[in-house]
Amino acid sequence: MLSFRIAARFLKSSPGQSALIMAGIAVGIATQIFVGSLITSLQADLIDAAVGSSPHVTLRAEDGGAISTLFAEDAVETEPLISTAVAVRTLSAIYAEGEDSVPLSLTGGDAAGLDTIYKLSDKLTEGSYRLAENDALVGERFADEYGVGAGDQLDLLLPDGSVASYSVSGVFDLGQGTANERFVFVDTASAADALGMSDNECSAVQIQLTDPFASSEVAPRLADAFGVEAVDWQAENEELLSGLAAQSGSSAMIQVFVLVAVALGIASTLAISAVQKTRQIGILKAIGMGDAASGRIFLWQAALLGAGGTLGGIGLGYALIWGFSFAPVPFSVRPEPTFIALSAVIGITVALLSSVIPARSTSRLDPIEVIQNG
Amino acid sequence: MADLLVADSLSKVYGEGDTATHALKGVSFTLAEGEFASIIGQSGSGKSTLLNMIGLLDTPTSGQVLFDGENTTSLGRKGRARVRNSGLGFVFQFHYLLPEFSVWENLTMPAQIAGRSVTAEEKTRTLETLELLGLKGLEKKNANQLSGGQKQRVAIGRALMNQPKLILADEPTGNLDTRNTATVYELFRTINAELGTSFLIVTHDRAVAQQTDRILEVSDGELVQDVRNDYAVGR
Repeated sequence: MLSFRIAARFLKSSPGQSALIMAGIAVGIATQIFVGSLITSLQADLIDAAVGSSPHVTLRAEDGGAISTLFAEDAVETEPLISTAVAVRTLSAIYAEGEDSVPLSLTGGDAAGLDTIYKLSDKLTEGSYRLAENDALVGERFADEYGVGAGDQLDLLLPDGSVASYSVSGVFDLGQGTANERFVFVDTASAADALGMSDNECSAVQIQLTDPFASSEVAPRLADAFGVEAVDWQAENEELLSGLAAQSGSSAMIQVFVLVAVALGIASTLAISAVQKTRQIGILKAIGMGDAASGRIFLWQAALLGAGGTLGGIGLGYALIWGFSFAPVPFSVRPEPTFIALSAVIGITVALLSSVIPARSTSRLDPIEVIQNG
Repeated sequence: MADLLVADSLSKVYGEGDTATHALKGVSFTLAEGEFASIIGQSGSGKSTLLNMIGLLDTPTSGQVLFDGENTTSLGRKGRARVRNSGLGFVFQFHYLLPEFSVWENLTMPAQIAGRSVTAEEKTRTLETLELLGLKGLEKKNANQLSGGQKQRVAIGRALMNQPKLILADEPTGNLDTRNTATVYELFRTINAELGTSFLIVTHDRAVAQQTDRILEVSDGELVQDVRNDYAVGR
């Protein structure tokens, strides 16, 4: 451990230089942590907004007819990645007011089941979350546009020409314009009546997964298992996904450039340090220090600089994330522990790699060069 | 006494062809255990080159160096570093102390390089060396805080710490005033007498060489004289 002690002493003897290079590493690591956490949080927010309150996989009959409600329970039993599966009855209807009319998409289902997918009870802006017989929940935009509120009667024209009357029990805000205008949730029995379905028939089974991105592998398995069409959210949101991929790519590029800058900073400082300490290394070699041990001095210097800079960078990264919480943006940045751990490993590894050249030149130094040249 | 060092036909050539410089031309001599000798010569005569060969800091173009019965010419870099650490002590014109370390740390550096933790016996010896060198009380001081004479005495102490059989000194008092020069040679004599350590001192100053028991004169890369000096000062 003599190499370590000498490395530590060399760093201590040039405190300004050591502090500067550690600050350089810290800024690099902090940028990594902040940009990485920002992009990850932003993407998680976007994904949550896009699919957090909607099905990830929807099972429905290929011919548009009815499927068994038992598929919901069977799917949960056969597929461990499913967090919730709800049998729903969907139909379209028209709401007319004077000369104005708007097409609506009605989803009938068990109140508790629908809540697990759409989180409606958390998203009510008015009324209460209740789907008893002939109750309906309408979206905020629809309610505003047509002056409908909790307790009002809602008459809808069904495809067969009949009129179904509902009582509005609540108004929701799903955070999406179309959903807030066109979606109406109704009780499961009235939807079954309107569609002429028996108790064990439904239009679709809506499924959420523990990992939304597993839908592309789960959907085909379910389609095969139940002989139905399985609609994958990813297939229907390709633009969003390519946007996220582009964002991840640019984030990775920024981080690579930051790392390269950090590596060059450490390498140049260590190279300067190696030149500054040539005489000392020559003396140590003259009195018997081996090539490997003298090379390790710079490896240790790099490790110490890397560890110090990385720790500082983690602190600075957290401070930046905390500071960002005061910024007027509609999402918050969460520090990602795995990302931070990865940044720390990368920081120290980059520091160690940066020391290879000065360590190698030091290990090759001949003591006679120092003794002869003074 | 037994031979401690055998320099056998040592030659050193720098460069090639027409530009080749023959710094050493087949120098041979032996040094017995406990000898106190000097190598004298004009500047550029090859005396420091010879010392660097013997000290395994440089390798000869031809010839060999046997130290304590071991042919060092066939050793690799690792082997030479081992012999430099355990068998040899160096004192140069410039002290070459490590400015980042204290006097105590500079003194114990050879032991640490050898991979030993400083034992109680070594601590005692270090304290004795400090006393011998007149450096007692300065052990915690940084090497940079010492005067020129004190630094050179620490360098001598460092050369002694691994109890080497041979101390090689290259113009060890070149940067010192008359008083410090006298002190250093007194110290060398004391160490030689008390510990039996051999000395080979390179100097261009005939007055300095006169203080040693044997004078080897190098001129133009050749050993031109090898005489005993029975009238050495301080014997």
